[in-house]
Amino acid sequence: MRMIKALTAIAAMFLIAACSSEQAAAPATTTVTPGSVADFRQNVGDRVFFDTDQSTIREDGRATLGKQAEWLKKYTNYQLTVEGHCDERGTREYNLALGERRANAARQYLIAQGIPAARIKTISFGKERPDPVGSDEAAWARNRRAVTALQ
Amino acid sequence: MNTRFDMMLPRRQTILGGVALAAGTAAPAAAQLTIDMTKPSFEPVPIAIVDFKGDKVGADIAGVVRNDLQNSGLFRSIAPSTFIQQNIDPNQPPRFPEWRQIGAAGVVVGQVTTAGGNIKVDFRLWDVVVGQQATGLSFTSQPNNWRRLAHIIADAIYKRVTGEEGYFDTRVAYVSETGPLGARVKRIAIMDQDGFNNRYITDGRSIALTPRFSPTLQEIVYMAYGERNEQPRVYLQNVDSGRRELLGNFPGMSFAPRFSPDGTKVVMSISADGNSDIYQMDVRGRALQRLTNSPAIDTSPCYSNDGTQIVFNSDRGGTQQLYVMSASGGGDRRISFGEGRYATPVWSPRGDFIAFTKISAGSFGIGVMRADGSGERMLASGFLVEGPTWAPNGRVLMFFRQQPNSGGRAGSVTLHQIDITGRFERQVPTPTDASDPAWSPLIPQ
Amino acid sequence: MKMPLRLLILVALALPTAAVAQRGDPVYVEDRLNQLQQAISLLTGQIEQLQYRNQQLQQQMEKMQADYEFRLEQVEKGGGRPGGAPGARPTAPPTAAAAPQAAAAAGAADQVYNDAFKKLQDGDYAGAEKGFRTFVQRNPQHALAGNAQYWLGETYYARRDYQNAMTAFAEGYKAYKTSPKGPDNLLKLGVTLANLGRKPDACAIFARFAQDYPRATDLQKRRIVQERQKNGCG
Repeated sequence: MRMIKALTAIAAMFLIAACSSEQAAAPATTTVTPGSVADFRQNVGDRVFFDTDQSTIREDGRATLGKQAEWLKKYTNYQLTVEGHCDERGTREYNLALGERRANAARQYLIAQGIPAARIKTISFGKERPDPVGSDEAAWARNRRAVTALQ
Repeated sequence: MNTRFDMMLPRRQTILGGVALAAGTAAPAAAQLTIDMTKPSFEPVPIAIVDFKGDKVGADIAGVVRNDLQNSGLFRSIAPSTFIQQNIDPNQPPRFPEWRQIGAAGVVVGQVTTAGGNIKVDFRLWDVVVGQQATGLSFTSQPNNWRRLAHIIADAIYKRVTGEEGYFDTRVAYVSETGPLGARVKRIAIMDQDGFNNRYITDGRSIALTPRFSPTLQEIVYMAYGERNEQPRVYLQNVDSGRRELLGNFPGMSFAPRFSPDGTKVVMSISADGNSDIYQMDVRGRALQRLTNSPAIDTSPCYSNDGTQIVFNSDRGGTQQLYVMSASGGGDRRISFGEGRYATPVWSPRGDFIAFTKISAGSFGIGVMRADGSGERMLASGFLVEGPTWAPNGRVLMFFRQQPNSGGRAGSVTLHQIDITGRFERQVPTPTDASDPAWSPLIPQ
Repeated sequence: MKMPLRLLILVALALPTAAVAQRGDPVYVEDRLNQLQQAISLLTGQIEQLQYRNQQLQQQMEKMQADYEFRLEQVEKGGGRPGGAPGARPTAPPTAAAAPQAAAAAGAADQVYNDAFKKLQDGDYAGAEKGFRTFVQRNPQHALAGNAQYWLGETYYARRDYQNAMTAFAEGYKAYKTSPKGPDNLLKLGVTLANLGRKPDACAIFARFAQDYPRATDLQKRRIVQERQKNGCG
């Protein structure tokens, strides 16, 4: 049983990796400079998403964070701040704490991938900075996020 | 903000004395000049408030009193155009039959006189049913304090009729919200309870949230980000001077601050490595004491009215629930057991109830429960309602409502007040969108 | 709170076998830690719920015991009043009024009513409260609305929440005065007021009974007399 689960998880990772590299291929042909912030955002992906009221990094998020770590190891001139965000379906103070927990989960994952802890700060915006703005399930899913911002 | 609010209010004396009360026997009238708010059903008390004698300010004061009483939901202000007795002498009993005829249970009359740069306001509340004066007071103050005088008069009438303390001479701190949601400007503002005298306490260059008053109203605590979106921290700010200090500089985020009832301590959440716990700080000495230590989110702490306990919100049991612990930490016990998630608990100034936000089945509600968690009652609900705060008399709550966003535009965010029977809800006017209300205690006189 | 910690140790001890291959992989460790934390909070939540249920059951047992004792006492005295004095026992209400049959209305509404009634009999007062409230709100004109309003009051009364009970009974009196439950409702309003220490109001309510419900049953009339005596009404 454990074995099967692990296998499907690995298969899923491959699938996701395949999809995102395909997506990445198109914009990469435009004018983005490798190693720039735009390169990071477009070709790596600066954000990972969470389930409702959760701060566990999902499989899709692992793939993104893994790519982020790879890129960041290549371009070591950046400091990062991981911003934790929540959807609007929680109370303000609790969401500040939940956003902090999400930011920290992403940070821990990056550290585990070999990014020095000293390079990564965290900050929580709770539900104060929605992106996109919307009050439906699709918008909320995109709002439950941890965004890696480069400085 | 810039001018200190000093006034000559404390000289308060009753003028009950030598007024002749020669009115006739009490005719059986429909309405009484008393109301028991806890009664299951009642009609608002019909009350006639006559413009006070003395220039425009007399009429203005009467207008504020009418507005306060009407907004409480417990009174029905009778339209002045229907008054039969005109040109009423504020020092003589009104002609009761003429007031009974228009259905008034009480008549309020008054006059404003000026003396030495101050104004003196006298008022009387006449009980039309029994044909006697019910209460009467006199105040002296600077002319620009006329709105406060009106609120104090409204409080006196409210107290005489309901038996409960009034709450009109109070202020509300809140978060003013402007601009698009993705770059929303959130600044702290303070206004009178009825929405007047609005002023901004922070400049809006950084996001400021969750303001709360000190018991003297001279200070507020709130959380704010740095101007370049640095880590949120808790600030203590003097309302009049604007001077602000950082309450402790911790590596993690500090948030959700609240004063103890005696004003000597502030309780708040501080997070470290993504985990939020509750701490208590001595305001003078700045000594910090840790009150919770769990791997869960512990936040939104609020002291009991006597300062011995703290109610807070934790997800240590898997979902957000309410817990009560000793104000020195320890003895945690869960008090919420209904379906859904519970948040933002606030202890009533009377100690009897805890108000909260509840999220269940995709909608939000404001409710109250007894301090032991029993007797839960929901008062208001909606797409998003949040953050109740108590009026000082513990009978009325204020909270905020947010409408759904649509088409990339922010839904409106507004303040509302509701009495604890859930019967009367009304929107509180604010100049901008508004959230996170914090009701002040009665303004010290 | 102590329990989960002990469990944590057990689980932690059980881990190594599966972990051998990935030991040292920080992501794996982080994952396991998260999973354990989630497991603990789940257990904490369950323990809290169980403690609460346990406490509720204990209270209910005590009430039932008091009820039995009361009834036995009545039997021993030879009085044998079937329902007992209404104010004395805040336990489940007497028998189900043969209400359900009376309503020939839509099944959905009946279902809500019946479910709520079942919950009331099971002692799930909060559940019953919700059910009856929903029923009255959705079907204010239903033949059973007056009954539901009355039972709503009983759900509070049983929990000694006299304030809400009073509101519910008063609403029942106002809106469903002529319902089959009208007399019971008015009686209970009076008893609730007496429980709140508002004897003059209670007496005023009892005084209304004869005039409002001249065709009440003898039993109901007798209880009014008893309650008036008990509360020293003139």
